[in-house]
Amino acid sequence: MESISDFVQYLVSSLSVGGLYALMALGLVIVYGISQLINFAYGELIMVAGYGLLIFGRSWLPWLIVAVMSILCAIIFALGMDQIAFKPVRNASPTTMLITSFAVSTLLQNIALLFISPRPRAPRLPSIFVKSVEVVGIRVKIVDVIALAVSIVALIALQIFLRKSIVGLSLRAAADDFTMTRLVGVNANKVIATAFAISGLLAGIVALFWIGRIGQVLPTVGFQPVLIAFIASVVGGLSSIKGAVLGGYILGFLTIGLQTWLPQDVNAYRDAIMFAIVIVMLLVRPEGLIRPAFSRETR
Amino acid sequence: MTLLYLSKLNVFYGANHAVRDLDLQIEEGEIVGLIGANGAGKSTTMMSIMGAVKPRSGAVVFDGRNITGMAPEDVLKLGIAPVMEGRRIFQSLTVGENLRMGAATVADKDQVAKDIERWCILFPILKERYDRPAGNLSGGQQQMVAVARALMSRPRVLLMDEPSLGLAPLIVADIFKLIAELRSLGMTVLLVEQNVRMTLNIADRAYLLNLGRVEFSGTPDQIRAEADIERTYLGGGQTSAPAASPATAS
Amino acid sequence: MGNISRPLVSKWSTPVILIGLCVLVALIAIVRDDAVFLRVVTVMFISVLLAVALQMFMGNSGLGSFGQYAFVAIGAYASLWFGLSEQQKRVTLPDMPESWWIHSQHYPFELAIVAAMIVTGIVGGLIGIAFVRLRGASFTIATFAFLIVINRVALQWEEVTRGSRVVIGVPKQTTLWIAVAWACLAILVAFVFKESPWGLKLRASREDEDAAASIGINVKLMRWIAWTISCAMSAIGGALWAYFIVQFTPNNFYLHETFLIVAMLVIGGAASVSGAVVGAISVALSSEFLRQTENWLNTQRNDGTTIGNLIPFQLIGFTEIVLAVVMISVLILRPSGLLGGRELRFPRGTPQPGVTDLAENIDE
Repeated sequence: MESISDFVQYLVSSLSVGGLYALMALGLVIVYGISQLINFAYGELIMVAGYGLLIFGRSWLPWLIVAVMSILCAIIFALGMDQIAFKPVRNASPTTMLITSFAVSTLLQNIALLFISPRPRAPRLPSIFVKSVEVVGIRVKIVDVIALAVSIVALIALQIFLRKSIVGLSLRAAADDFTMTRLVGVNANKVIATAFAISGLLAGIVALFWIGRIGQVLPTVGFQPVLIAFIASVVGGLSSIKGAVLGGYILGFLTIGLQTWLPQDVNAYRDAIMFAIVIVMLLVRPEGLIRPAFSRETR
Repeated sequence: MTLLYLSKLNVFYGANHAVRDLDLQIEEGEIVGLIGANGAGKSTTMMSIMGAVKPRSGAVVFDGRNITGMAPEDVLKLGIAPVMEGRRIFQSLTVGENLRMGAATVADKDQVAKDIERWCILFPILKERYDRPAGNLSGGQQQMVAVARALMSRPRVLLMDEPSLGLAPLIVADIFKLIAELRSLGMTVLLVEQNVRMTLNIADRAYLLNLGRVEFSGTPDQIRAEADIERTYLGGGQTSAPAASPATAS
Repeated sequence: MGNISRPLVSKWSTPVILIGLCVLVALIAIVRDDAVFLRVVTVMFISVLLAVALQMFMGNSGLGSFGQYAFVAIGAYASLWFGLSEQQKRVTLPDMPESWWIHSQHYPFELAIVAAMIVTGIVGGLIGIAFVRLRGASFTIATFAFLIVINRVALQWEEVTRGSRVVIGVPKQTTLWIAVAWACLAILVAFVFKESPWGLKLRASREDEDAAASIGINVKLMRWIAWTISCAMSAIGGALWAYFIVQFTPNNFYLHETFLIVAMLVIGGAASVSGAVVGAISVALSSEFLRQTENWLNTQRNDGTTIGNLIPFQLIGFTEIVLAVVMISVLILRPSGLLGGRELRFPRGTPQPGVTDLAENIDE
């Protein structure tokens, strides 16, 4: 660590990346919690929002409206994949559901390949994505600060939704005991659709910053985020919202830390090390760092 | 007035004829016991009332309306709330959140707030543990949460499946006292129980089930008077009961 | 079952039919004598072998693996280590230090395949000791994580794989008949395993692991056996493929390939060997047909012909879209696959319900 300024930079980028990772993991976990589906096609929701940015961005609309429309696209696709592909296999084994989501993921990627382009395209992005500011001698990227703020706001908003609204309560209740949730009169399909909608919303928010960071969108753009979401949620705890958030932030600090301090040739093995950790976690502590407080009832 | 009745109800689990030609009726304001050994068809009967199991034939009529084969959500909205075996509270939700989930079908927020207050007075433990995860509560306390949660939808009939299961005898006595108290508040209760003695202490009438059939029905006194029944089904009957049916397993 | 011999005869007709089917397709390829078709069919038999290997594990255990191509990759590269001469290694794997023991190893093609199989079997067996403890989705995620680990390691470890650069100078030694022979052997192995006491026990655990364990079945051991054999068989596929395609990188053993092999198994029906064979043949042939159509349409488009003018853009990914749609439809409408989990048999006497019951599909 050279100086305070380096440390603050590290802190800001770790927190901002960690926040994004937390949102990625949450999008996966919120669906897994109630339907036991690990949605491989979650990355393609990020892709959809990315192409939304590209396509709507060509219009004269202000960028913020473009961003909102892109997020809406991700939500619509999330609801659509639930209705068309996942609802019919809801009672099948987790393995079947996982294979289905793998197929949905391939399908959407190749649709983008066929109808848009295999080549990366650069969507219109506002200048804040490249600018930096200097505050008391410390240089930070504006986008990092915004990402940090947005992720924290999103996490708090989600927490309020899950604690205060009856739909949010139903989501948590359904993760505890799905059958009983139906028996208190909650419409099961609605709850699951809500989970998918939130997943799409999170994917959309993530897409803004992820694509803002890399500056381009291509059919496989969602793959890296979905891998990150896998790692973060397995490490943090697949059935725990808190775990997903924790896992996301841990991974954020870890990636930025490794990038900063690890020699380049070791860094090449970063993904391999991360996924080796995933395997070890699954074996040693399959419930993740944050154990669900209570063993789940059999459904 | 007859609030709920079943007529000639037949339920199958695959080839297993779990409930046979069952007739049953519950008057408003009554506690009716449904007793019998493990696998007698008690839970299956309850599940058919609440719509969790579809009967092959026969009818479930509630308040003059045929509700046979209706979805559980709709049955609940009509005013029949279940308290499931094993309590099935939402463990990671707080006690308060469990109560709010019980009123998931109620749109009127004031009513929900008023009801929560009301049940917190009747069950002081709920108030005490209001913001704690319900999974941290003891078995007896969880049963209170389960009952209060069911009451939150303002049902006219409460279906209770084995509320005494797995609880210490002292707690069981408390639970039964509570059920009797509910009647004084005007609640109608169908009580499915293996604990025959306790059930007969509080019930107005009871049905004795054996192998899916009503073996005997009447007032607690009438049932107690049947010494034979006592010996056959209520005494050693439980240990020599037929293998558990899917009804009790599910 | 009163008459033991009859169901046995009927049962063993399955590998006979499947092997006959393979030989028939191979003969058609020989008779047609068309270089492209010959290539397609040879690759198809490697897919049959891989699908059968995956079926042996997935179909019997009911667990999903996304990690098979990790072992295909290990098999492919291991076959280079053992099958290339020192001279060839200097070209193909130039970064491998000559002081390494493996650098001096050189065996005939067939032995190199066996060596690759043993190496992969050991790797698979070791990782399998840990993996068999996992259930359901955790297992699939772990295998997927392993695929990524192997992919990333292979891309970086230039000494043993040449990293992300294409390996060159591998002799083309896999012929149609070699591929057919190994595919048929794989079918036989998978079938024998399925009908063996081990296979039966494993299938008993498919629906309810705890129930199977409670009647004294060592589920984890049965799983491990199937997994390890499946890994070793996958290595054969990798080796055959390496010596047929002769130019590849670690990224040729990754997601797209995983998708194809899983699609084959799902479409054919994962619960039976016949399902894997039929799935592999139909997916391989139809995707080749689709790809050729795709290419033809693209040529038309480039040439600006009448049909070509109707195509608004370059067709890419069309094949995968069709496959994915078929796969999702099968999962929804017929989760047990085209064959419904049944084996192909000669109709002989009365049907044997007791035998077919065991071959039921993996999804309820």
